[in-house]
Amino acid sequence: MSHRDASGEILAGFIAPHPPHLVYGENPPQNKPQSQGGWENLRWAYQHCRDKIKALKPDVILVHSPHWQTVVGHHFLDVPKLKGLSVDPIFPHLFQYDFELDVDTELAEACYEEALEEGLAAKKMVNPNFRVDYGTITSLHMLNPDWDIPVVGISANNSPYYHTHDYAQDQMIKLGQATRRAIEKTGRRAILAASNTLSHLHFDREPAIPEDMSQEHIMSHEQYLWDMRFIELIRQGKLDEMMDILPEFMEKTFAEVKAGSLVWMLSAMNFPKIPAQIHGYGTVIGTGNVVAEWDLDKARREGTLTEEAMVHA
Amino acid sequence: MPSSTTAENIKKAFIVPGQPHLALTDGWPELTQAFKKAGEDARSVCPDVIVIYSAQWLSVLGHLFQSDPNPKGVHVDGNWHAMGDFEFNFKVDTSLAKLAEEKAQAKGLATKSVHYEGFPIDTGTLVALKYFNPDNSIPVVIVSSNVYADKEDSMALGESMGEALRESGKTAVVIFSTALSHRFMTEEIQSTDDRIASEQDDEWNRKMLDLIQLGKNQDAMDLVEDFAQKANPEMMFKGFYWLMGVLGTPNVPGELLAYGPVWGTGNAVVEYSLNN
Ligand SMILES: [Fe+2]
Repeated sequence: MSHRDASGEILAGFIAPHPPHLVYGENPPQNKPQSQGGWENLRWAYQHCRDKIKALKPDVILVHSPHWQTVVGHHFLDVPKLKGLSVDPIFPHLFQYDFELDVDTELAEACYEEALEEGLAAKKMVNPNFRVDYGTITSLHMLNPDWDIPVVGISANNSPYYHTHDYAQDQMIKLGQATRRAIEKTGRRAILAASNTLSHLHFDREPAIPEDMSQEHIMSHEQYLWDMRFIELIRQGKLDEMMDILPEFMEKTFAEVKAGSLVWMLSAMNFPKIPAQIHGYGTVIGTGNVVAEWDLDKARREGTLTEEAMVHA
Repeated sequence: MPSSTTAENIKKAFIVPGQPHLALTDGWPELTQAFKKAGEDARSVCPDVIVIYSAQWLSVLGHLFQSDPNPKGVHVDGNWHAMGDFEFNFKVDTSLAKLAEEKAQAKGLATKSVHYEGFPIDTGTLVALKYFNPDNSIPVVIVSSNVYADKEDSMALGESMGEALRESGKTAVVIFSTALSHRFMTEEIQSTDDRIASEQDDEWNRKMLDLIQLGKNQDAMDLVEDFAQKANPEMMFKGFYWLMGVLGTPNVPGELLAYGPVWGTGNAVVEYSLNN
């Protein structure tokens, strides 16, 4: 990829949940286990995203995954090509995926440099034998099963699970800013993916046929109400209010957004006060999942993404 | 006089750290030396099988038993990828794993056996195998740490393993791989500057280790809940319930071979000599 002038921008950001069930339900050639389908509302939601992404012709997709957990700093995949077999340790019977991905290492290194610049601990992942986690792979597969767009994978530093909410949030905001500057400086047209589920309490036993949709439902009505409260706020573009309820949302539903992916993405996009488009909502083994999009490219063209609106309150 | 309620064929048991630093670097010599000695002591009893519970192998859908007779591959740790690779190729005692799983099911536990090419073997297991089974000549049984298991479940899982071992008559060494306090330094450090993340963590680690060294294993079990609250041990230290389930909570002292920090976390190498 050639180095561009400093005119890079984020085209769109997606909440791209990663239950491996979605790959399993689709039966792509890369995944060994075979299903009879399942979880269609979420898989069809992703279909919209795939079409949108193709039309936007991005240079790169950046994904932040809660299942690549790091304890010292924020890590960036930085090997030009990574390939191998990724088996989900939790749902190995659903996900045994032959992955092969091209990393935009120039952007990865720019993200790393900018993260250091923000005062964050950061690391480049340069081990060629590294097995990419199923969260990263699932989100990327669901957004672009052709794998013809280079990627940057970012780890979830688990400081949210050790430190206070504010401290952890602050880290993710900085990581987002670093990511945005790296994209701008390298001139990339970028798509962002926050790989996380909403409400995250789930059943600990699964039906004999995992894709038996007669058994699939939200873990509790309370979880459902919380998910809807969150979704309603992003649909209305009320990000400040959403950020206000985030700590309680995490506490009440173990929302996986705690891992930081969502806040990283929103920060990179300067907390755009535009409505998110909801492509679909569905449950997976009881958890709540939304596929949502902030289409910055369109908002820029329509003039609804004003400079003022770009400033985070 | 300490007495052992443990099945006669269980010769030794160990608590060991799961940090890759001890297998892939030489920055933590004291813990590494102790680990090496523990492995030699284990092999000196010529076990037919090594049984491992690893706090780094997390499961959600019940308790998992590795049932691939020959897991092999390369493992790279998610955080410590710069330290290098774990190449592995070892044997699993699938019949013992199956027996233990059946016994766990009989106690009402949800279980699954896993036999998948490319299934990730966790760092903690591989660190233990490096010292306990360097030539991979001894078959192993590996069980997961179920995120939702409580004290009762964990003990029942251990008891199932103890019953299976007794029935099999196989000479065994039992390993619980875990960190004590589990708070990492969140920045780059030199190994020589390493220390336990907080005084409170250190204090609680020592409280737990003191009871273990006195052979007061029942008291140690009673302390686990407070220990989990105060020192954030890996997976709430519930593998200790499992270990005591396997061993039948003997009042045998655990010998502390080493205790120290790895990147802020608390780690100990403990050896129980049971039936020699
Ligand atoms: Fe997840």
